Amino acid sequence: MGAGLFDLWIRGVAVSAPEATLPRLSPLGWGRWAWRNLTSMRTALFLLLLLSIGAVPGSIFPQRSIDPGRVADYLAANPRTGPWLDRFGFFEVYASPWFSAIYLLLVISLIGCIIPRTRLHWHALRSQPPRAPARLERLGAHATAEYAGSPAEALAAARALLRGKRYRVHAHDDSSVSAESGYLRETGNLVFHVAMCIVIIGVAAGHVFGWRGDVIVTEGQTFASVFPQYDTFRAGTAVDANTLPPFSIRLDKLDVTFERKAGGAQFGAPRGFIAETTTTERPGDRPRNQIVTVNEPITLGGADVFLLGNGYAPIVTVTDAGGKVLYKGATPFLAQDNFYTSVGAIKVPSAAPKQLGFSGFFLPTAEPTYANGPRSVFPDLDNPEIAVSVWEGNLFPGGRPQSVYTLNTAELVEVPRADGKPLAIRLKPGQSYELPGGRGTIAFDGVARFAGFSVRTDPGKGLTLAAALLTIAGLVASLIVRRRRIFVRVAPGPLAGEDAARQPGAPGIPASATLVTVGGLAKNADPGLAGFVDELAAALAGRPTSAAPAARTETDVT
Amino acid sequence: MTSSAALASLVSAAASPTMASWSNLALYSAMAVYTIAMLLFASYLAALGPAAAAASKATAKVTELVAVGGGASADDPSTQVAPDVDDTSEASPRARKLAGSALSMTWLATALLAASVVLRGLAVMRAPWGNMFEFANAGALAAAVAYLVLARRNRWEWLGIFVVGPVLLTLGLALLAFYTEAAELMPALKSVWLVIHVIVAILAVGLFTVAFALGVVYLLKSHREANPPANSAKRNFLDTLPRAATLERAAYGINMIGFILWTFTLVAGAIWAQKAWGSYWTWDPKEVWTFVVWVVYAAYMHARATAGWEPRKAMWIAIAAFVSVIINFAVVNVFFVGQHSYSGL
Ligand code: HEM
Repeated sequence: MGAGLFDLWIRGVAVSAPEATLPRLSPLGWGRWAWRNLTSMRTALFLLLLLSIGAVPGSIFPQRSIDPGRVADYLAANPRTGPWLDRFGFFEVYASPWFSAIYLLLVISLIGCIIPRTRLHWHALRSQPPRAPARLERLGAHATAEYAGSPAEALAAARALLRGKRYRVHAHDDSSVSAESGYLRETGNLVFHVAMCIVIIGVAAGHVFGWRGDVIVTEGQTFASVFPQYDTFRAGTAVDANTLPPFSIRLDKLDVTFERKAGGAQFGAPRGFIAETTTTERPGDRPRNQIVTVNEPITLGGADVFLLGNGYAPIVTVTDAGGKVLYKGATPFLAQDNFYTSVGAIKVPSAAPKQLGFSGFFLPTAEPTYANGPRSVFPDLDNPEIAVSVWEGNLFPGGRPQSVYTLNTAELVEVPRADGKPLAIRLKPGQSYELPGGRGTIAFDGVARFAGFSVRTDPGKGLTLAAALLTIAGLVASLIVRRRRIFVRVAPGPLAGEDAARQPGAPGIPASATLVTVGGLAKNADPGLAGFVDELAAALAGRPTSAAPAARTETDVT
Repeated sequence: MTSSAALASLVSAAASPTMASWSNLALYSAMAVYTIAMLLFASYLAALGPAAAAASKATAKVTELVAVGGGASADDPSTQVAPDVDDTSEASPRARKLAGSALSMTWLATALLAASVVLRGLAVMRAPWGNMFEFANAGALAAAVAYLVLARRNRWEWLGIFVVGPVLLTLGLALLAFYTEAAELMPALKSVWLVIHVIVAILAVGLFTVAFALGVVYLLKSHREANPPANSAKRNFLDTLPRAATLERAAYGINMIGFILWTFTLVAGAIWAQKAWGSYWTWDPKEVWTFVVWVVYAAYMHARATAGWEPRKAMWIAIAAFVSVIINFAVVNVFFVGQHSYSGL
């Protein structure tokens, strides 16, 4: 805000909107003009509204940073509009140029607003309350009282009362005192806005200095935290991926429970995930047993390790016709629905003469008829089964990196049954199947669970949290503190008449009586002000203080 | 339920169907009583019309004091001491009686609703706000309690229908569209931060609802003040309400408290997200909308403090903010894909 509102608070002059004077055409003039507009309340308001509207598309369209798969699906399903939306950043709203522009302008406006306000407030904090207006009866809240004593004594009494209520008191002349309280209100407001800036700095620090990696670990496996071991890894610009903390984590067991009692959508809902792990902070350290659960991350080497995902890894053995083991291991399959119908691929590059690949489903509780295709009907291992088709050829065309959960079938052909019909192998644990044409055997040995761990650091989060709490403190202060000015003016009494007033000490009239007028002014809504002024007047008159004003129709919360 | 069965359900901490059905019974009763309260509130407003016509001569005088303060802010001090029309005292005995019974019915219904929420909590042995059905009921309860407390302090019987109406609507919607069987929570929701974050959100929504109702009445009233009825026979309850400026200030005050609670909701949600998902902010749709709500309310505060902005326009922003609250609840949970999959649907 400009200086206006604050300066003109008392004078009763309406603050006009920022003037639309024609700028001088010098660059400096333009700069000033732009700055003044950018830092005006109107602009701040406009930018806030723009920010709220700008944030919405990110909740409607899938976002690359959250779920790239859904973005790809969307683009495939909307070949016409999709690319246009993409061009305008609708799949990466919060990193898009236009969204950044809005919040950067807002930050500049915010800083441009804080600096002059802080300066003004600093002066206000050190200056005395202003001179009392001539006619206090014209103030919104006012009251009169007759003080039994001289004007000087009346003022002294008023000062003492106001000081007692923690007002700053000053006398500009010897017939009045001015008092002010509630500076904390503006302080709170400034703290709020400054803390907003710090929140933004904290968030930015997290982006620059933080990193995160995700990894899938099967029961029995050990994960060592080095860059190439992560399935996905993202880091801020200031992070060196070769100097990650060298901890390791072994998944001993993953305990999972699902809802079996409740019906409806709750049936099969997850109820508990507990990962029992053995960890070391650095190679050679003594291993520790640690539990990781949802909501309860552990800290290793300064990074937080979260349990974010889980699923099943069928253990499969593939042997060649001679009985030589070509592949043996637990292969994670990814859950596709709430009942963990999972898809995955088993790649056997050592098969000869052609490489072999299996792709298909893992079902923890298979629906036996496959009436709607292979489907699981409960997320726990009640009736596990795999259903895969067989492919042969070149698994890695061009040697490019590819997903571990799907086969790239560009240079693969599907292996049919001996009779030429499509081949679909269904196996329960312990069963095996002999592939047609002497290609060997696939055996389904059992199932392990896997845990999806996410390892994250965010060096800015402490600062962000502290600043966020500070915004709340600032808001509370600016809500509960009331900025008030109280003026007390004295005139020689009594009220008996003008003649008497001109001639204090006239017969029959106590020479020491003083007429006291109290006036109050609040910066914001302040329903208690009138009561406070009345009380002060009553205290000066020596009357018992009156009860709260009757018949209020206002709320106290304003 | 025998006491040993109750004990067993406490020990096993599993969902208790008996408690849950009692909870539903209390909910149906609350809705029935709210319906009666709403009819009474409506009759009360209708009865105020004639009273207003009769009293028009006596109360039309509103003293506008000389402006001494900065006229820039809507908190123009000159409006603070001008006596507001306190017309409820002018209402006919019949109207006053209607108001009294409407309030009593609202208290009764709210007690039933509170019982329903508590029973649901006992049925599931956790804080009873783990899915949309439970959240809607708790939010309606918060709005009703906020209203009743404020109505007692400020004699806001005329606001009753504008709060009880939405409360009833929410409960009906909760039963029809969001009903979820009593059950345990999924792991991500088992956290003290659920209790803290959501209870504060519920309180904020309760206050926002009352402030929204006040805002709507304010807009009606300020339109009325700008276009007073030509003859006194046409006067209705609007003419008996406190002045528009008073309504506006009250709405602002309540919105401000709601805003502080919402800020806290946002921060507590971020802390919880950090614990549960490893990142305090991921622009998940629910987070986006919580943020949108927050920013729109901030814009409202600014609009109100901006020189040259009419309070009426500012109030429209507050109403837009409340609409975002509704979207955040009713649309985002159901239709948008994100990590906040707690709707229970
Ligand atoms: C990040 C953007 C901003 C947010 C979220 C924000 C939020 C708020 C909120 C919630 C309030 C009301 C609370 C209180 O009175 O303490 C407020 C008040 C205020 N803001 Fe901001 N603000 C932002 C940016 C700005 C900017 C850029 C300006 C300057 C142009 C500004 C100037 C003010 C002023 C002058 C008030 C006091 C209004 C009064 O006296 O009641 N704010 N702001």
